[in-house]
Order: sequence, then structure tokens, then C-alpha cells
Amino acid sequence: MAGPNPGSRRGRFAPYALISPGLLWLLLFFLVPLASLARMSLSTKQSRFDFDPSFTWDWGNYADVFQKYGVQLGRSFLFAAAATVLCLLIGYPMAYWVAFRAGRWRNVLIGMVVVPFFTSFLLRTVSWTVVLADDGLVLRVLRSAGVVGVLRSIGLTDGDRLLDTPLAVIGGLTYNFLPFMVLPIYVSLEKIDTRLVDAANDLYATGSAAFRRVVLPLSLPGVFAGSLLTFIPASGDFVNAFFLGGTRSRMIGNVVQDRFLVQLDYPGAAAISLVLMAIITSAVLLYAKLLGTEELA
Amino acid sequence: MARTAPLWTRRRFLRNSAALLGGVGVMPGLLTACGGDDSASPAARSSADGSGSTTLTVDSWPIYIDDDPAEGTVARFEAATGISLTWNETINDNNEYFAKIQPVLSDGKTIGADIISPTYWLVPRLVQLGWLEPLPVDAIPNRANLLPSLKNPSWDPGGEYSLPWQTGITGIAYNRKVTGKVIGSMADFFAPALSGKVGVLTEMRDTIGLLMLADGQDPASATFERAESAFARLQEAKESGHIRRFTGQDYLDDLVAGNFAACVAWSGDVAQLALDNPDIGFAIPEEGGMRFADCMVIPKGAANIDNAARFMDFVYNPANAARITAAVQYISPVQGVDEALRQLGGEAAALADSTVLFPDAATTSRLHVFGSLSEEDEARFDEAFSAIASV
Repeated sequence: MAGPNPGSRRGRFAPYALISPGLLWLLLFFLVPLASLARMSLSTKQSRFDFDPSFTWDWGNYADVFQKYGVQLGRSFLFAAAATVLCLLIGYPMAYWVAFRAGRWRNVLIGMVVVPFFTSFLLRTVSWTVVLADDGLVLRVLRSAGVVGVLRSIGLTDGDRLLDTPLAVIGGLTYNFLPFMVLPIYVSLEKIDTRLVDAANDLYATGSAAFRRVVLPLSLPGVFAGSLLTFIPASGDFVNAFFLGGTRSRMIGNVVQDRFLVQLDYPGAAAISLVLMAIITSAVLLYAKLLGTEELA
Repeated sequence: MARTAPLWTRRRFLRNSAALLGGVGVMPGLLTACGGDDSASPAARSSADGSGSTTLTVDSWPIYIDDDPAEGTVARFEAATGISLTWNETINDNNEYFAKIQPVLSDGKTIGADIISPTYWLVPRLVQLGWLEPLPVDAIPNRANLLPSLKNPSWDPGGEYSLPWQTGITGIAYNRKVTGKVIGSMADFFAPALSGKVGVLTEMRDTIGLLMLADGQDPASATFERAESAFARLQEAKESGHIRRFTGQDYLDDLVAGNFAACVAWSGDVAQLALDNPDIGFAIPEEGGMRFADCMVIPKGAANIDNAARFMDFVYNPANAARITAAVQYISPVQGVDEALRQLGGEAAALADSTVLFPDAATTSRLHVFGSLSEEDEARFDEAFSAIASV
């Protein structure tokens, strides 16, 4: 066996050397914490103020997640899905208009989507409590238009109010995550060669057929990315439910916050986090399959 | 209104951001448990017993002292003693604060503060865990001014570890603009007319205490069995939508905005607010109100115990205590504050005759203190309460 020549060895190891900072990062800040979280989720507190629960293969923590917090879990995904659909309904036309109709104002308008982000997320959410207050203008207008009664009858609001209701939480999520939907859709629409639409028109496609057969399929990667960027953080969010929700619109993020920070139930909080992660991962895989990622390239 | 509005907005912001940032505060602790690194290193550990040190750090609640930069208690204490006092408004919720200090103290490290201000019920837990230093009582001669009724409290018999900072009443606050009338009893509070317009506190003993009194139970001898119907009522009121929100100090925003018609509230907060908003009122429920105390205690390993004693001595001087009372409007634990208020004159003098600040015998007889719970009972109370209030 002759020794390998040094040149080819370098060639063989160069890719690993290049990828190692990324791998190290992944290992240190994702895999190690994940393993520690999994270990914590199977641990048991030995006493009430036990700060360092011992590892006991306690699967009971996982049973608790569904038994005690199933409602909040389901509600989180429902609210997140509703917010994602709303973001899509509001965001797609917005991105479309900016991409194809705004002309030289394009950059200014897309910049304006991001402008609210210069203010703190916390303050923007708290401000909604003022806008939606019982004496606020919004509620007065909706009340006189008779909308509040309709919303209540379909279970979106609680009594004669907007603040501290499921509607307010979904609205807050939609508001806060809208840019995450608009920007990816805009990017994919903006890349579309308008000559393709011209070609469709030349082939006697109506406006709507051209949109359906040409523009929409080409913008799906943006829709896919936007939905993920909205749905995933929204389902784990607790800020909106904390400020805008009432006693019956708490999400799983609120439960994690309480278990972890107030009740010091680290094993329970860890189990909830892992379940949330598992459900989101499966949902994303399913979504990718349904939307057919191979066509997206 | 003009004066208090920004104040309360700030308070709500502080509380809420603390709730959010709590995670940040705890994370290093969690890492400590895993890695055992040093997360707490008090800056001022000049000498082992603290003598000769010229600093003092206090962890307290938001807006719980007269904070005028020139005339306030901090400034006057610094001028009188030459000690540099750092006043942190870091406590916004007892449970959250406990969660923050627990990893550090249970690791045998120091938290950096020399005085912390937990609510009374947390004191026995801290004593039992061995996380408090006994007070150097000989260095606090003004401790003699402590009100006789607080000299032997149930939470710290003999007062070996704690001195009350302020005490207060938990009752009902209401906004007359929304209710159109005074809400003077828990029966009124749970009347269908207020459905969806009331708030209760996340502080378990305050909320459950008032509900137990409404059931004719005395919270002084609380057991889980005796509180069961109070929990049932709370659960029912939550599920029916009668209770709109569980709040911390941020109830004041909802009260002023008219989102709450009435809520469980702390006397001093409401008294401060009512000065500028005549629609806001406070009532001790007919069924009885709760009495609480926030205490000054010295956490284990504090670097500046001597200076902590000097501060306690300073604020137990009635003339100094009166200035705090005039600002925070809570019940002072210090004897002679009413006289000192009269000497201050002006608006402060009028406070000397307030029955909320100086409850007379008739008022006192309607107030109850939540009794000490056994370790096992406390765990059950906390778990049952959080299952309703936090989920």
C-alpha cells in the first residue's frame, strides 16, 4: 500500500473543512440543546423546588401534554392556521400589486411593508390593546354596524368586546406575521418573466387563466416559504395571546411560559416543547408533499 | 390622569416586559445547572463582612418608593450615610422572581442584591431553604418603631429574618363610569351584570383569599379542602367568561380604559390612581378583605449586610417612612407615620386621616391574612390555581 499523495488528501478533506464551522454551529446550538431538552423531558423533579430534575425515563410528562394541555395545543394550531390563511389572503394581492402594478414605486412600497418592524414587536402588540379597547373607536364602529353580534355568534368574540377574545389573538398574529408572508411572495412574483404572461395571452388565455396557469404556479415557492414563516412562529407564539387574549384564548406558548418560568416545571415544559416541535415538523412535511416541492424548483 | 397615565403605562410595560424577559433571566440559570459556570458575581464584595463597603443594592417592586432624584428616599439615604444605593425595580411577580433567584441561591452563589422584597408568604419558604441571612437586629434600633401588630407575624415569628417594607389591603377596585355604582361585595363582583368585565389577580393568595371569605371561610386557617369551593367558583367564573383576564399590577390599565368594570386590586395602587381619576374607587368587600405585607429580607451571602441594616434603620425612622407613605399610599408598618405626615403638611397631612392608610379597629377587624400552608398544601394550591389562571 503506497501512501496517498498529500495533494489528494487535501482535496478529500477540503469540503469537510469548509462545512465544519456550520456543522459545529449546528452541533453546539441545535443538537446538544435538543438532546438536553429531550433528556429533561424524561426527567422527574425529586422535590418541589428541585432545580436539577433527575433523568428517570418519565414518559408521564408526555401523557400530561395531551391530557392537560390538549385544548391549548389544538387552539394554537387553529389560531396559527387562521392567521396564515388571513396573511395569505391579505398578503398575496398586496405582493402581486406591488410586483406588477406599482412601477417605480415598487421598492418604496415593499420597504413600507418592513417599516413597522423598526418599532419593537412588544410595543406594537401592546398598542393593539388601546386600539381594541372597549371604549375604543374600532369597537364603536363595529358595534354600530352590527358586526359584533355576527362575530359573537360564530364564536370569534366573547361578549360585546374585541379585546381579550380569540379574534383579537388571530388578528394580532396576522398583523405581526404579515411581512413574513408578503416578502417571500413578492420575491417569487418579482422574478416572473412577464413575457410568459404575454405568451399566455397570445395563446388566447383569459386574464384569470393566465394567472391560474402561469403566475400562480410560479409564485408557489413564495407561498410555501411565506406560509412556513408565518405558521411555525405563530403556533409557538405567546405574546399575542398574552396581551390580546382572554382566559379562554391561551395558546401552548403561554403554557410553556407558565410551566417553565412560574411553576418551575422544566420537565413538563420540555415535553410540551418537543411535542410542539414534532407536530410542526410533521405538518411541514405533509404540506411540502401536498404542495409538491419537486415542482417548485 | 395626566400625571398617572404615563406612570401606569410604564408599570404595565415593566411588568409585561419582565414577564417576557423572565425567560432571559432564567436561561443562564438553567445553563448553570448544566455546566456549573459562574453567573452571579456581585460587583461590590469589598470586604468579607461588608464593613467598610460603601454600596448597597436593593431589589424591589416598580414604583414602590418616592423616587424624586433630589428629595427622594434614595437620595436622602445616600446623603445621610455616604452609601451609594442601587434601587432595582426588578420584582414584578413573586413566583417569577423566585424562579429567577432559585438557581443561583440553590447553587450556593449570591444574587448580588443585599435586600430583596418578597411578599410575606415567600419569607418562610426562603427561610426554610436556608437562603436568608438573619437580620442584624442590634444594628437596627429603629426596629422598635415597628407596629405592635406586626411584631410577631405568622410568616416570621419573632421577626428574625424580615422587616415589613409596606403593607396593604387586597380588595375590589371599580370604575364607576362603567358600573354606575359602588362594587362593595364579592356578591356584586360576581353578579351577571359584570360578566366579561372583571379581572382577578394572578397572586394566588389574594384571589383565593377573597373567594374563601366570600364562602365564609377564614383564609387564616386555609387548607386545600376548605378552599375547594373557592377554586370551584373561580373555575366556573373563568369557564363562563365572567372573568376576563388574570392580571398582575397591569390591572390598572384595564380599569382606567374601562375594559374592567371591577377587579381584585391592591389598596395603594388604587389610592394613587383615584387622586386623579374620581371614577376609580376601592372597597374592602363586605365579606372581608385580605391584608398583605411585602418584606425586606437579606439574601444569603449578601455582601453589604451592615449597609442593609443602616437602610432598614433609615426607613424605620417615622419621618423618612412618612415620605414613602405619601408617595406610595400603602399602609406603613412604622409607628408614628401619621404624626410625621401631619408635620410634612400640605397634601401629605390629609393622608394622616385616611382610613385606608391607617385602618381603624372596625376596618382591621374585616381584614384577614392568608395563613401559612404546609409544603404539601402549598404545592396543591399552586397547582390548582395555575391550572385555572395560567392555562
